[in-house]
Amino acid sequence: MNILTLQFLLEIVFGTIIFLQLTKKNFGAVLAYGLQSLAITAILFGSFFETSNLFLLFIALLVLFVKVILAPVFFIKLIKKHELTFSGSTYLNMPLTLLIIAILTFVAHSQKFTPLTGILHADQVLLPLAFSSMLLSLFLLINHKGALSQIIAVLSLENSIVAFTIFAGLEQSPTLQLGILFNIFIWLIIATVFVSIIYKHFGSLDITTMNNLKD
Amino acid sequence: MEILFIIATLIVTALISILIKRRGFIEFFSIIASGIVLFESIVVAFKVSTAGTYSPFIFFSVDSLGAIVMLIIACVGLATTIYSIPYLQQETAKGIIGFTRVRQYFVLLNIFLLAMFLATTAGSPIFAWISIEATTLSTAFLISFYNKPSAIEAAWKYLIINSIGLLLGFFGTLLYFTSVSPLGGDGFVSWQALAINAAHLDPLIAKIAFIFVLIGYGTKVGLAPMHTWKPDAYSKAPNSIGTLLSGGLLPVVFIIILKFKAMTDAVVGPQFSQHLLISFGILSIALAALIMFNAKNYKRVLAYSSIENAGVMALGFGFGGLGVFAAILHLIYHSFVKGVLFFSSGNLLLKYNSAKISNIKGALRVLPISSTLFITGFLIVTGVPPFGIFLTKMQILSVGIQIYPVSSIVALFFMTLAFIGFLKHITSMFFGEKPHDIEIGEGNIWLILPPMLLLIGIIILSFYIPPFLSRLMHDAVSHYEYD
Repeated sequence: MNILTLQFLLEIVFGTIIFLQLTKKNFGAVLAYGLQSLAITAILFGSFFETSNLFLLFIALLVLFVKVILAPVFFIKLIKKHELTFSGSTYLNMPLTLLIIAILTFVAHSQKFTPLTGILHADQVLLPLAFSSMLLSLFLLINHKGALSQIIAVLSLENSIVAFTIFAGLEQSPTLQLGILFNIFIWLIIATVFVSIIYKHFGSLDITTMNNLKD
Repeated sequence: MEILFIIATLIVTALISILIKRRGFIEFFSIIASGIVLFESIVVAFKVSTAGTYSPFIFFSVDSLGAIVMLIIACVGLATTIYSIPYLQQETAKGIIGFTRVRQYFVLLNIFLLAMFLATTAGSPIFAWISIEATTLSTAFLISFYNKPSAIEAAWKYLIINSIGLLLGFFGTLLYFTSVSPLGGDGFVSWQALAINAAHLDPLIAKIAFIFVLIGYGTKVGLAPMHTWKPDAYSKAPNSIGTLLSGGLLPVVFIIILKFKAMTDAVVGPQFSQHLLISFGILSIALAALIMFNAKNYKRVLAYSSIENAGVMALGFGFGGLGVFAAILHLIYHSFVKGVLFFSSGNLLLKYNSAKISNIKGALRVLPISSTLFITGFLIVTGVPPFGIFLTKMQILSVGIQIYPVSSIVALFFMTLAFIGFLKHITSMFFGEKPHDIEIGEGNIWLILPPMLLLIGIIILSFYIPPFLSRLMHDAVSHYEYD
């Protein structure tokens, strides 16, 4: 896969995170996460075409199944079941959110992180973008009040780390990748179950309604 | 073979708990399994103490510190299983939980134990990470066990904060792999391979990686300021699970941090990781001491005590030298004493039906044995002589005062404050007049025996360390101490 295609796929990952920061509707957020995961899957398929390792193809297919199909289906069912059209609001308003996004992207591209973003000389253009995706995913989690948005933020952070490791040449053995994917799959199920329980107990997915923990 | 046997035993017990519908069988098999696990852990510890690192398969590797932690998990695990049976029986009798919950409890308990053993014995850092993540997943439902809104909230907080922490830890872990696969390796990378190749790490990457690892895994340990999930989770989970979270999981995650510390030290020298550990350690001790003072829930007090002691261990490992030996010993004492405290506080909870400090009065008259256990546990955990923790705290501070005098004095001040804060709650709970509606008398001998055995264990270990354990500890010090 040439560098321009990889850059385009990584830009999709980055763009979906920006979209996740700004969207107010859960359905849009789920679709954005699906698209982001599709871009990651395409990058994994690229690794398979380069190495012809059939186990990598198997991993890419599993990622496609778990992240692109299964996770969005889970979330859409949840949205329909509880009529969760709108995601929880954010702590910061839109202009401030955009300002923080710009600052984090700038920080990720700054000289301070050169040792990190320059791990692999050939991918020096791509690594800062992957790193800024990580920082933006963290910000997504901190800034959003909705439980579903928080789940998507955690999964988005995981996608960004996967992108970073691929471009930094730090991919793990297929067996371990399988273990990691299994973990994510279980995490996804548990988090989805918790979202349902939260809705049942609090009548909302807005985490600011959860204020029972007092000393 | 022993490790496989431990894994198989715990998996089979979890499956039995799912399939069998008779409570007695589930309880019986869980106790037998914990007994087998303890026996096999002792065998592994003896092998490591005589022949060094034990690695029967590529996926598993147990060094001296790993063997010590295996013994801790096995001892605390057996005590927890024994205690859980009468504890849950009393809760069932009160109508708090039903059989389905009990079954769910034993399934998750065995999976939690399994995940901790896998993390301790994992031959690869990624395999260890997967296992640590599995501990989060298995305990989330144990924290929300009572299905109350506050318990759900605590479990959600635990799940999200720890998942983020572990993802950051995962990122840090992957950065260490730059030393072995600069052009994209796809083989199985073991702890040993990483340690051997640590010298090839870029020093700046090593520093960034350790920061990510310390923040990531430090979240799971509960080091301040990543500790926020801990008081909530400990106060909402069943008391027996509090024991395992504090006494079992904390050392498991600590050894992973130490393995990465050893690699970082090999590249950039010991000062970088020392400063970080000391900073996090002091912050943890200070925050815990200050908040503990005004706590209103005794289970939260125990959580803050865990944060404080995690800070003490971080200081010990940070100071180095004899501090490392003291920190390892502190790790053992702390795990045992947290069992004593959580189990005896569970007895208070069963009697008073409240975890609020203001609702507990005259406990020494109502539950004389449990109260004595709790008070003795308090004296041990806060470092009162002649118990072991007094010696480990003094040893850590005496090492620290020579190299970092200001940090040591600050730490000593906040440790004293923690003692005063804890003492304030003790006097309020255990003395004075008991409420009229509370009957005097202990519940069940099996609710007293596990904390009593753990207490005997600490007292013995305070004055005598068996030769094989001493060998393991000295070997661990030589391995994890930068020379």
